[in-house]
Amino acid sequence: MNFAVEIQNFSYSWPDGTKALRQINLTIEHGQKVVLVGPNGAGKSTLLLAMGGFVRGTGKILIDGIEVCPANVKKIRMLLGCCMENPDDQLFMPTLYEDVAFGPLNMGLGAEEVKRRVEDSLRKVGLEAMAHKTPHHLSAGQKRAAAVATVLSMSPKIITFDEPDGGLDPRNRNNLVRLLRELSQTLIIATCDMRFAAAVADRAVVMDNSCIVADGPVAEIFYNGELMASHGLETP
Amino acid sequence: MHHAYLDKYADGDSFFHHLDSRVKFLAAVVYTILVLSLPRDHPAVVVCYAVAPFAVLVWAGIPLWFVLRRILMVSPFVLVLALSCPLYDKTPYPVVFGKISFWLTGGWLRCFTILAKFVVTMLTLFALVGTTRFADLLAGLQWMRFPDVLVMQLGFLYRYLFVLVDQVHHILLARSARKFHPLGFRREMKIAAAMTGSLFIRSIETSQRIHIAMQSRGFTGTFHSLRHTRIVLRDIIFLLGFLAVCVLLHGWVRHIFM
Repeated sequence: MNFAVEIQNFSYSWPDGTKALRQINLTIEHGQKVVLVGPNGAGKSTLLLAMGGFVRGTGKILIDGIEVCPANVKKIRMLLGCCMENPDDQLFMPTLYEDVAFGPLNMGLGAEEVKRRVEDSLRKVGLEAMAHKTPHHLSAGQKRAAAVATVLSMSPKIITFDEPDGGLDPRNRNNLVRLLRELSQTLIIATCDMRFAAAVADRAVVMDNSCIVADGPVAEIFYNGELMASHGLETP
Repeated sequence: MHHAYLDKYADGDSFFHHLDSRVKFLAAVVYTILVLSLPRDHPAVVVCYAVAPFAVLVWAGIPLWFVLRRILMVSPFVLVLALSCPLYDKTPYPVVFGKISFWLTGGWLRCFTILAKFVVTMLTLFALVGTTRFADLLAGLQWMRFPDVLVMQLGFLYRYLFVLVDQVHHILLARSARKFHPLGFRREMKIAAAMTGSLFIRSIETSQRIHIAMQSRGFTGTFHSLRHTRIVLRDIIFLLGFLAVCVLLHGWVRHIFM
């Protein structure tokens, strides 16, 4: 069977020798919405970076059946979109329109197709009126939505989000939940906010001390108070 | 945080706002070269060149206090240079204003010329950035085959300068919150050095994350653009008007004063 993500015995250490990921084994099916939860420093963000081919360790990672390795980087980046923790890192072009067009243009798409994708993506996140604004003129919630649009315009099969709810007020968080629930792609979301995680995902993977310690349906994992407390987490 | 945007008024609706960025950029460069090429001991001639950028700013509806405040902000560097001139050139020159006449040294004349050239070139620069969105300016530069790396660097500078300023504000706030009395010059310098170092490290980390974000969206070193701008009748009218002003100033004004 072809999984959206298949990770086999993956380990990674930081250059100073600190273990960041130990023997990770994980499979995610197409269309699943998965949250990676765990305390700070558990390895959630590093695992997302490894899926995108930004850090290379031992073991194997397959994205839609294609191995993450230098030879396949271009294919992997077209299949898997990364949404960074800080939207200011994601939005680097002078205008929002150019930022959303950045990925499709790098994919070599024609001008008309790029325009269509940019307009579609901006409409999906409700920012079509802000297209020609510079990113520093956007609010925190708008920046977050804009960051999602920059990935949506590439139409990836899988999207990873690193702490997408960080710094959002309840209204913007609810808007983001609604947006993520509407997406048909496979979503992998790293977060520390259990209420947010419970609202967007069907499956939860708990990480602690660089390992996966639990994996199952959100309802089962999040309401296991003993499990959550033993890893420094709280129930929603 | 609130920042003083250079292109705060660039979304206006005047004739100059609608001009092609390439045309405005070329006009600004030519005009700056003209001003800089003026003789160094004729400040009155240089002052006449202020009329054109001044008129553009007024017509485009850009508040003059906004421009003057920014000119004052960068003036200390030029002031030091200009005020050093009277120290080494003491040659006397007669200055005549109608019936009033007096003597000034060559150093003072040069000082006034430098200041006048500075103000006129800054007015020209603000007439350009005040009526042109930075993104359009970058697209124009890219079209004119400016090196990609330079255009990219300018884009990042404009985008992240505001983020950096925010971080500086936060660091200064954090320092103020825990500093109850003056700490003395040496301690203050030590703290300033630590804060600067922290900003450098944050900037490097930010650049690494931006690079990851760029790579994740397929960036391999070449910037692609969707912008296709066209020179229209409005731009040609502006260029003809600009040429006429240059010829007028270069011929007539120089003829009168020199």
